[in-house]
Amino acid sequence: MTPMTLLWMILLPAVSAVALILIPKTVKRIREALALLSAAVSLYLGFALFAAKDLVWSANWLGAGIKMELRLYQFSAFILLGLAGILFLITLYSVAKMKDHPRIREYYAYLFLSAALAFGAVLADNFVPLVFFWEGLLITLYALISLGGKTAHRTATKAFIISGFCDFAMILGIGIVWSLSGTMTISQVSLKPEGPAALAFILMMIGAIGKAGAMPFHTWIPDAAIDAPVTFMALMPGAFEKLLGIYLLVRIALDIFKLEPGSGLSLLMMVVGAGTIVLAVMMALIQKDLKRLLSYHAVSQVGYMILGIGTALPIGIAGGIFHMINNVIYKSGLFLSAGSVEHRAGTTELRKLGGLAKEMPFTAIGFSVCALAISGLWPLNGFVSKEMIFHSAVESGSVIFAVAAWVGAIFTFASFLKAGHSIFFAPRSEERAPGKVKDSPAAMLVPILILALLCIVFGVFNKLPLSNFIQPVVQAQAEAGEHLDFTTHALALFNPIAGISMACLLLALGLHAYGFKRGGRKAYLVSEPIHQAPFFKQMYDGAEKKFFDLYEQGVKFLRGLSWVLFKGIDRPIDAFFEKGVTAVGSGFTGILRKAHNGHYANYLAWGLGGLVVIVALISILLK
Amino acid sequence: MSHETITLLTVFVPIIGSLTIPLAGLISKAARTAWAVALGAATTLLAMSLLPQALAGGETVVRKNLILGLDFILLIDPLSIFMACTSSFIGFLIIIYSIGYVHHEENQNEYFLLVVLFIGSMMGLVFSGNLIFLYLFWEIIAICCWRLIGFYRLKEHVQKADKAFLVTFFGAVVMLLGFIVIYGQTGSFDLTAMRGTEIPGTAVLLILFGMFSKSATVPLHTWLPDAGVAPTTVTALLHAAVLVKIGVYAFARLFVYGFQLPDAWLAALPWIVVISSLIAAAAATVETDFKRILAYSTVSQIGYIFLGFAVMTEAGVTGSLLYILMHGLAKAGLFLCAGIVIHATHKHDIRQMGGLFKTMPLTALAFLFCAFSVIGIPPFGGFFSKFLVIMGTVKAGLVAAAAVALFTAILTMFYLLRTFSQVFLGEVKTPGHEGTRSMVAVVAILAVLSLVAGLLITYPATLAEVTTAHIMGWLK
Repeated sequence: MTPMTLLWMILLPAVSAVALILIPKTVKRIREALALLSAAVSLYLGFALFAAKDLVWSANWLGAGIKMELRLYQFSAFILLGLAGILFLITLYSVAKMKDHPRIREYYAYLFLSAALAFGAVLADNFVPLVFFWEGLLITLYALISLGGKTAHRTATKAFIISGFCDFAMILGIGIVWSLSGTMTISQVSLKPEGPAALAFILMMIGAIGKAGAMPFHTWIPDAAIDAPVTFMALMPGAFEKLLGIYLLVRIALDIFKLEPGSGLSLLMMVVGAGTIVLAVMMALIQKDLKRLLSYHAVSQVGYMILGIGTALPIGIAGGIFHMINNVIYKSGLFLSAGSVEHRAGTTELRKLGGLAKEMPFTAIGFSVCALAISGLWPLNGFVSKEMIFHSAVESGSVIFAVAAWVGAIFTFASFLKAGHSIFFAPRSEERAPGKVKDSPAAMLVPILILALLCIVFGVFNKLPLSNFIQPVVQAQAEAGEHLDFTTHALALFNPIAGISMACLLLALGLHAYGFKRGGRKAYLVSEPIHQAPFFKQMYDGAEKKFFDLYEQGVKFLRGLSWVLFKGIDRPIDAFFEKGVTAVGSGFTGILRKAHNGHYANYLAWGLGGLVVIVALISILLK
Repeated sequence: MSHETITLLTVFVPIIGSLTIPLAGLISKAARTAWAVALGAATTLLAMSLLPQALAGGETVVRKNLILGLDFILLIDPLSIFMACTSSFIGFLIIIYSIGYVHHEENQNEYFLLVVLFIGSMMGLVFSGNLIFLYLFWEIIAICCWRLIGFYRLKEHVQKADKAFLVTFFGAVVMLLGFIVIYGQTGSFDLTAMRGTEIPGTAVLLILFGMFSKSATVPLHTWLPDAGVAPTTVTALLHAAVLVKIGVYAFARLFVYGFQLPDAWLAALPWIVVISSLIAAAAATVETDFKRILAYSTVSQIGYIFLGFAVMTEAGVTGSLLYILMHGLAKAGLFLCAGIVIHATHKHDIRQMGGLFKTMPLTALAFLFCAFSVIGIPPFGGFFSKFLVIMGTVKAGLVAAAAVALFTAILTMFYLLRTFSQVFLGEVKTPGHEGTRSMVAVVAILAVLSLVAGLLITYPATLAEVTTAHIMGWLK
């Protein structure tokens, strides 16, 4: 592995993207073969680079200390591998799922362009290339969402502006970091988050958590769930944005700044994390469409990661990172299962499904494993990482955050009981089209089952990812001599914290049973008792009207402010030129016009007057 | 040829050549158009051939002594060469686009004469090392601009042209007063002789009137949106290549690489231009006329260029220089796309447009590319310029000003994407067809150049860096 390989890692998908858009639409096999080949090579390079570990490559770029610097180390190698793995699975899935999409050429091109930019963002070791790749993802985000349908461009614009806001916040933060530290090279920066650096921390944090989709920067995700292709959901909000956002968040909290446990910034992150967990899961609970339900979970799960990292305790950070990778696995699996259901049954609305467990057994198995993993059931991967986060929240000293995390766990499980029950195990809905459906083609099932299998492997053999991927990352930050070990209490089912978690799951089961009874034994109605409860109903109604949507309110603010500035400043200035200046001008010329009245005597008087003045002037000057 | 000769040719080939265009018109229409294109191409090639000189750094002064301190001085340094290349190249592309755009209009002789004279005067202004000659070319440009804005001869168009002329003329005369104040202090109009001289605040104020009126900065900006009544090619020329860049160029020439400003002005200038930028972006958000939106967008972007120069940090100045290039390419592209759309639909209000992506995909894509560049999204060129300006502002300690500038960038994102969605997506309201081949080719070239300028940023960045080193060198 030479350092140039880092550049190839970025260029390969970029070049593939160009090739994929150039291949004519009628040529099918070659396009898919090329896409699969390119994804497979990326995955191979991902493994090879993971084995190589430390590589540095740099070249002159903008001058003045701004170089194209790429650096591969423990953490970036691990994220890179995750990105490449997801890229391969999604490409495989797309071969079957997207084959009749009218804009298939663009789809593959954007997919690989996203991969190239994401690889670049992970490898960048200079803030300028980082922003270059990071913000470049806005374009593929916009493009991929607008592939969805007629109204998709609205959601695309929304996603673009929200993400753009977060990116601009990050740019300002980078500017402050640059003027404080004097260097753009990320690995050379280490600041104490105090004073202006604290502001920089918050601004950069907005960039990172905004990418990851935390509240309040999440509102485009549920909209995209309806408009955008489901593979996009699995790829971007499901996997890539989590990997990138959390990767950067960890680097901000560990490398660029030294986040202290118990500091105000740590508390801020924990509040954002806990708030995101609870609010998003409450929204997920009442959703009636599987894709929307999943999209709110994509938001809610980010809360756990931010909460864990925000504690600034080694176990919390490790838990946050582990949860991120676990979430990528099961969330992509869930979105892909939803895509599989949509592919055969034609809809993902819970009310219109039912009875699919028998007709689509593999999808049902994949979905169930992933759903149990996200709910944190022992011994799947979600259990392990959530336990670590619960531990860190308790250790941080503020039990309230642990409680928030547990509340999240209750409703996560409850909403997946509802979804799984309605789609796969409830009796067949009367609204379903007649005739049985087959399970999806193998190209779609294989990725789902691989992801489900990974959920089990990462849970049961959790020492594997913990000691190979995560421990080295956190260890590098630990004090010299300190030995970290996260594998001891992770799987212990019999400790008080795990006990509470399991009790939460039982509670969720109870809630489900209660709702099922109240809802006339209709599985898709089980969340109605909570939806209709006093206070909750008002809040949910407000949310339906997008009252809490930062984007909708922000757009109103932008329009209002613009109107005020336009009418209050711009137009008066224009009126001054149009009316004021012209009135003065015509008034002045009016006086002159009156003087020129054509009377001979008048002109004579002017002439004589002028002569007197000139004579007077000359006599003064000659004196 | 020595580069002194090349510079003289760069200035005088288009100026004298433009006067022969009507003569070529006597032969045939085609000959005239070909001659105009040839003059544009020659100017661009001559300017470009100076690039090695610019990259080598250093400056050459060509001097022809005349009476009363009105020496004819040509300043050949990286700054003037950078500006000359950018303006002449974009101007040349606009001449090509004009072939398709004005081919059925009357007074084409006059049109091409004025456009080439316009570009030639710009060359003269850029290389001028004497304040009086700077003023002279400044006013020739104003006259060309006045005729071109009122090109369609309608009463209200002529009024708008008068407005533009009067506002910029007023500004220029006030600026001339400023020059006289400086003459009173230094006894010279020679720019090379007065580097580093601290000039009084009144002179700064007087000269700023000239720059702000020409570069359409609040509060002297409203003539620019009104000038949108001109043929779209002319608007593109005004916004992208020549007119509004004069003020920022003069700012760089006089205030960055010239006089020493009083501290109060150094503190106030960044805020003035940031607020100007914000107000203009707000106006663009409210407006619904396609060309007025883009015009306000120019006013807003000019604010960024001023900002980078005004903070006088290395990153800021480099950013602003790149901004002149990137904004030129992208804004020319946006206006020319608007021209194609307006040509096809005969509508000006974006609310009456929609769904044009299907019938004119190339124009739509070109518009989107240029819009991304103006917003400042990588990998487009506009990203680097905006990013560096923001970095330079933060480095100068003006975090709050940088925050306002970024807020303006969000507004920019909002109104440009809204314009794109309204015009090219959604339901078809007024059908339209793709423009002629030369028109579409030019917008496609501009869009691709916006992208390539970003992907291969190293080359323009090197030139900008050399220029920055040159004009900042004496500051230290």
